[in-house]
Amino acid sequence: MRRLAIPLAVLLLAAGCGGNSGTPTPTPAAPGQPDKVAAGVIAIVDVAPIYLGKQKGFFSGRNIDLDLQTSQGGAAIVPGVVSGQFQFGFSNVTSLILAKSRGLPIRMVSNGVASTGKDGADFGGVLVKADSPIRSAKDLAGRTVAVNTLKNIGDTTVRASVRKAGGDPASVKFVELAFPDQPAALAAGRVDAIWVVEPFVTAAKAQGARLVASNYVDAAPDLTVAAYFTSQELIAKNPDLVKRFKEAMAESLAYAAAHPDEVRAIIGTYTQIAADVTTKITLPAWPAEINKASVQTLTDLAVQDKLLEKAPALDELLP
Amino acid sequence: MKALKVIALPAVLFAGWWVLSAGSKDFYRPPLRTILVAFADTWFGARIADDVLPSLARLGAGYAVALVLGIAAGVVIGRHPAVRETVEPVLEFLRAVPPPVLVPILILVAGIGDLMKVLVIVSGCVWPILLNTVEGVRAVDGVLADTCAVYRVPPVRRMVLRAASPQIVTGARQALSIGVILMVISEMFAARSGLGFTVVQFQRGFQIPEMWSGVLLLGLIGVALAALFRLVERSVLRWYHGQRAAEKQH
Repeated sequence: MRRLAIPLAVLLLAAGCGGNSGTPTPTPAAPGQPDKVAAGVIAIVDVAPIYLGKQKGFFSGRNIDLDLQTSQGGAAIVPGVVSGQFQFGFSNVTSLILAKSRGLPIRMVSNGVASTGKDGADFGGVLVKADSPIRSAKDLAGRTVAVNTLKNIGDTTVRASVRKAGGDPASVKFVELAFPDQPAALAAGRVDAIWVVEPFVTAAKAQGARLVASNYVDAAPDLTVAAYFTSQELIAKNPDLVKRFKEAMAESLAYAAAHPDEVRAIIGTYTQIAADVTTKITLPAWPAEINKASVQTLTDLAVQDKLLEKAPALDELLP
Repeated sequence: MKALKVIALPAVLFAGWWVLSAGSKDFYRPPLRTILVAFADTWFGARIADDVLPSLARLGAGYAVALVLGIAAGVVIGRHPAVRETVEPVLEFLRAVPPPVLVPILILVAGIGDLMKVLVIVSGCVWPILLNTVEGVRAVDGVLADTCAVYRVPPVRRMVLRAASPQIVTGARQALSIGVILMVISEMFAARSGLGFTVVQFQRGFQIPEMWSGVLLLGLIGVALAALFRLVERSVLRWYHGQRAAEKQH
């Protein structure tokens, strides 16, 4: 029986989906009723503006009944958006470039989050132990660096840091570790350096770790790290909803950028980050527009580091 | 005729999959043809040495350690009721902990290298072997034990292990399928190579036909290991199957 289980399951999966490849569109709202919209996000600092915008009524004021659903990462949110389970999603730019290069019908609609652009004061960075011989990104050559996801925005931008500092980026050995496990692995000497984002930068520093590189800053000036996106099908079928979502996001981003205290307060409502930590972390930047030059840079890095063979047409990905 | 029976259903399923998926435009469920093309491109080459062999080596090491550990501890526990009563609550507790949740702890004690991944496999595989060995050893026929004692047959090596071997083999068979699962899971943490690692990489990189080809390969490896196990079982338990056949004739 066990012998049959695998092919049988595979067949059922394949058969179950044969006919149903179309995207279910959100039920058209009855007159006077708000559109029900589900958005796939990751429970991290980066998405504070959309939570804040929902709380402030920027979405409901535009007839959008927003339901925020947390997922593990872009690899889970992209299928959700393509299949119509989510109308909008949040993902880092490199994942969106990869998805687009494989032919997935998606398009960015709004900026998500950006680097602060300040070397040494960004919301992500490469850290080493206090007594490590590594003094700069150049010294990372030949060392083991932990990243949360291989072949993505972390390792490509860390390589950019090493390259910029004059080291050999190809000799850096990357290993995949979840952000929460990284500070402990660094303290135990399992890895030579870690690449983390807030709140883990603050956590690692509290354990005595030292920042050696701001990889987002080294990769491109004011790098756009992540964006909100939707399916091309929704853009074609309901351009009005997409337009209202864009406007609500623009207002949310501007509000978050102007009200850091409210941002710090709302982070505690959807993450497990303790209140005393949220007051200390470095917040990212939330500019209104996607920095198109930086998306081009991330594309070039992805091609250079062989994450993909051929760059996608960026004018079909950018909003 | 027997071979035909074995192949028939897989062939039907495979053909069904091929036909039903042939026109699929769904990005996440590509046609089987696309998957098979990706299979050849992906796995016939450097990946066998880079990903498949490291995975199988870790599985082999973890499985071997679990066998030695499980059988040795099982014989001791099975032969000494006092030991069994003492350790049973602890064993029940340890057995109930799912190995994947041990990974962060194992990273702290064993690092992020192969040792951690082998330990994850051991921590799951050892239980069916241990528990079946205990049961097998406890069930050794009293008359047989007394007879062996009279004739000075080395008790553990010649008598206990032999008598318990049908049970031990049952445990080992269960452990093998658990081992394959844990091989994949262990490579989803802190990995740089391996089958589970590669499948996840393909998924995250939106290389969906390649991802499916990895799933297919894992299934094939499972089938191959099960077949290999049957061969070993047939030689280890030849006496047992012979005895059973003889008993049936009476």
